Amino acid sequence: MKTIPSDTSSPQETELTSQASFLSEYASTLMGSGVHTSRIIRNTKRIGEAMGIDVHISGLNKSILLSAKDKQTGETINKLEEIPHKPISFEINTNLSRLSWEAHDEHLSFESITQRYTYLSGKPKLHPFVILILASFANASFCALFGGDIFSMGIVFSATLIGMFAKQQMLARGINTFLTFISSAFIASLVASTSFVFNTTAETALATSVLFLIPGVPLINGFMDLMEGHVLTGTARLINALLLVLCIAIGMSGTIMLLKNTLL
Amino acid sequence: MIITDILYDAGFAAVAGIGFGAISDPPLKAFAPIALLSAIGHATRFCMMHYAGFDIATASLGGALTIGFGSFFAGKKSRCPMTVLSIPSLLPMVPGIYFYKIILSLIMFLRVSGDSPESATYMQAIWSNFLFAFTTTFNLAVGATLPHFIFKEKAFTLTRKKNKNTVLPVKTK
Repeated sequence: MKTIPSDTSSPQETELTSQASFLSEYASTLMGSGVHTSRIIRNTKRIGEAMGIDVHISGLNKSILLSAKDKQTGETINKLEEIPHKPISFEINTNLSRLSWEAHDEHLSFESITQRYTYLSGKPKLHPFVILILASFANASFCALFGGDIFSMGIVFSATLIGMFAKQQMLARGINTFLTFISSAFIASLVASTSFVFNTTAETALATSVLFLIPGVPLINGFMDLMEGHVLTGTARLINALLLVLCIAIGMSGTIMLLKNTLL
Repeated sequence: MIITDILYDAGFAAVAGIGFGAISDPPLKAFAPIALLSAIGHATRFCMMHYAGFDIATASLGGALTIGFGSFFAGKKSRCPMTVLSIPSLLPMVPGIYFYKIILSLIMFLRVSGDSPESATYMQAIWSNFLFAFTTTFNLAVGATLPHFIFKEKAFTLTRKKNKNTVLPVKTK
């Protein structure tokens, strides 16, 4: 573990360095997984408290600034950590929040906290295929909520299946998020536009086919950040969500342009 | 039948909540509360709109507040943060049909020439659909966020183990 020779730095110093690195990694993982800023700050401070460290964090949209002060020696370390690109994960949000309380209440040692952290952040996720099926059923139900009949529901189901599959494959290959959203919205709405051939609630099918792409998490998180005074991260999240909504609109208008004579 | 209408609405909302939740990778234990909250939230909005005569924006605020407060109590039980339960439950209430109408009217507006009377009709359609979509989405965000500020400190301790479970001996550092 220790890469710094012991004669150039005191053991106290290396301990604080590794603790500060852990705390900044913890905070940036939460930030990357779609957690609102005030929760990240509370969680990280709580773990710092359990280690006997005073933590101060400033959240930015691409990176976080963290200052860790050893309560006994008064020694302070500042860290700037880039926020990794991660898929949104409520499971990481839940588990790492629980970890912060466990560290606080059960006075876990630094080693056991890092062990738990490595275990929790490496937990297997839901299989993409399961997500695909569940999201397709969800969008079909959404169509029903807007008054679509059983045929439109079937069409929306297949549209979501194909659109969501395209999104998963493109994101897995590291293609730009905006391009992914435009293409998936276009593909999903194009499949849904087959409903105009049949005698069914075609407009509802077309309108609901792209809604699996709605970026609900950055939208609500951004709003919460704004309300809690984290204006920088809040605005960044809201602008990001708005751009994704615009991408959905662009993809969908591609289909509408192709269909405009039918729709007039 | 009023009851079957409400159950129809709640049932589809529950399926939608589970599916939209799955995209954001929630813990397995959160699926049941998400389904319940989506059903209750959407049914509240449905009742407010169809039986109490509210408009979609106000009714969405009612539904979102139900979900927001519900996520506090459900979060207490399942040790999940409030947002983990409330965000997926809100998604079935997103006013998608208005977003579609905005795009459609915008494309139509661009197609007709500026002076024609249709141009004013499409302009009005863009603006009114935008206001519906915006106020509804805004109210959803307000409704889900407000309970956080009401419960304050209590909302932060949802993921903490309850006292009866923490029988572990306190280790000295």
